Amino acid sequence: MTALLEVQNLSRDFGGVRAVNQVQFEVRQGEILALIGPNGAGKSTVLNMVSGVIPPSEGEIRFNGQALSKVAGYEYAFFGITRTFQNLQTFDDMTVLENVMVGMHAKTHSSLIACGLRLSRARREEQEMREQAMKWLRLVGLEPLATAVAGSLPYGKLRLMEIARAMVSQPKLLLLDEPAAGLNHTETAEMSALFQKIRRDGTSILLVEHDMDMIMSIADRIVVLDQGTKIAEGSPREIQENPAVIAAYLGTGEE
Amino acid sequence: MKQLLGNWGKGFAIYLVLMILYPLVVPDAYFRSVGIVIGLHAIVTIGLCLVMGLAGQISLGQAAFWGIGAYTSAVLTTKYGLSPFVTLIVAAAVPALFAFILGRAIAGLQGYYLAMATLAFGYIAQIGMTEWESVTGGASGMISIPTIPFFGDTETGMFYLIWGIVTLVLLFSLNLFHSRVGRAFRAIHKSEIAATSMGIDVRRFKLNAFVLSGAFAGISGGLYAHYMGILDPQPFGMHESIKFLTMVVIGGMSSIWGALVGTVLINFISEGLILLGEVIPGLKGDLDTIVFGAILVLIVMFMPEGLVPRLRAIREKAQAKKAKGKMAPAPSTQSEQATERKAIP
Repeated sequence: MTALLEVQNLSRDFGGVRAVNQVQFEVRQGEILALIGPNGAGKSTVLNMVSGVIPPSEGEIRFNGQALSKVAGYEYAFFGITRTFQNLQTFDDMTVLENVMVGMHAKTHSSLIACGLRLSRARREEQEMREQAMKWLRLVGLEPLATAVAGSLPYGKLRLMEIARAMVSQPKLLLLDEPAAGLNHTETAEMSALFQKIRRDGTSILLVEHDMDMIMSIADRIVVLDQGTKIAEGSPREIQENPAVIAAYLGTGEE
Repeated sequence: MKQLLGNWGKGFAIYLVLMILYPLVVPDAYFRSVGIVIGLHAIVTIGLCLVMGLAGQISLGQAAFWGIGAYTSAVLTTKYGLSPFVTLIVAAAVPALFAFILGRAIAGLQGYYLAMATLAFGYIAQIGMTEWESVTGGASGMISIPTIPFFGDTETGMFYLIWGIVTLVLLFSLNLFHSRVGRAFRAIHKSEIAATSMGIDVRRFKLNAFVLSGAFAGISGGLYAHYMGILDPQPFGMHESIKFLTMVVIGGMSSIWGALVGTVLINFISEGLILLGEVIPGLKGDLDTIVFGAILVLIVMFMPEGLVPRLRAIREKAQAKKAKGKMAPAPSTQSEQATERKAIP
């Protein structure tokens, strides 16, 4: 398997604090890589750097062999990297359908003038955006809520909507920041099945998550961070038995 | 979706009927001139609505763009003898260019920088109109600006010309609202970080909205100059910019129709205050400034979403209640209620 995303010596400082220190890993084509670690381990910071939200202090991120250091945040979606957010970032006053249609932005090109005059290209793209968005709403089970205003939806549905919004452009890499947070057991299981389907359809996933059931059941490999540093990497089984990981989660009792 | 378009079509049909009938049913030329001024203001406020309500940027410079448009068209027609139909296009382009330069200068248009920058720009522009005497005629202004030959120079002809342009601007903006670009504006307003992760170039789209609002204000300014026939810098100051802002806020920032409704309302209040001032001798001076200030404060306190979205919510609630009554005691879950709510521009 070839590497889709390569992260090399990635570091990030906030003021004088080093939140992420020389982290190195790769996401291979077609895999689900889980990034785990105790609170404050730097997982979300890594995800924010990989998605272009914040620049790294040091190190390099390569996607399909191309360095992303000079790429603007909004261009990541054009490369095929999309994400969801730990604290939901939904467009509350739009409908569920419109939210997902925004996800097609990088796949469409109509200009302001074309949109205002409803030129044929804009109409065609609008139709395509709507079809793709509806397809994804069906896939995540939100089709009956398509015309509902997003702000009126419960939390679990909004999580699904964010996934549909990130997936509608058929990205190569999907970044998920704690997608199971706040969900019940059934919802988590449904979400795990959805991620496996997404992976089967050809999108690789980098997953930051606390829910160990989800991680152990769907992750191909796991990278463990503790205090900004990578302490382990391997299959779910290897990670479960790794003494350094157990110590990081439970404490060694020596400190 | 079909229903949504149906609702939209009905609103538009009502608008068209009211607009076409207005100059025919009102008793005299005074009301027609009020109608014309409302139309001129509406072109500006619909543009401001795109910047403020959709893209979430506050502009206090719309009156300056309006004035720049007015002077551009006035100078080009009176001094260079060009046709108003040509100069109106230039009148849109010049303020749009100013908006572009201003927007580019404040890189990123983050936070309240645009409000600050447009505040300063508004003052500078008005000073420029006053001091550049060789071109603008200074504080005493310009006279004999040619009228636009449209249905024989009548007030009614002018009314239909201006409201025809209002209709085009309205349609353009409504189309935009429900498009890739309009959704990008609205996405930026709610979450810049999510918009960016969807591939939206936040800076570029904010700039686009701002430039478009400048162009709309410029067209309106040009029409204003030819309608009035005379021009001086007085109407293009901060007072007018805040009036535009009040119109957009009172009608409901998130709604294009809201901008139109707010414009009509504020203008009628304005006219009402003038009448009141004639009846009650003590009510003179800057009464409308005080009233509009009070309206703005009250709206922000009690109805921050504005009139049109509030009325829509009330109507939807009533419809939901009616539907619930028909369906007997079936428990209405959150998701069922949610499906009944619709987003309309």
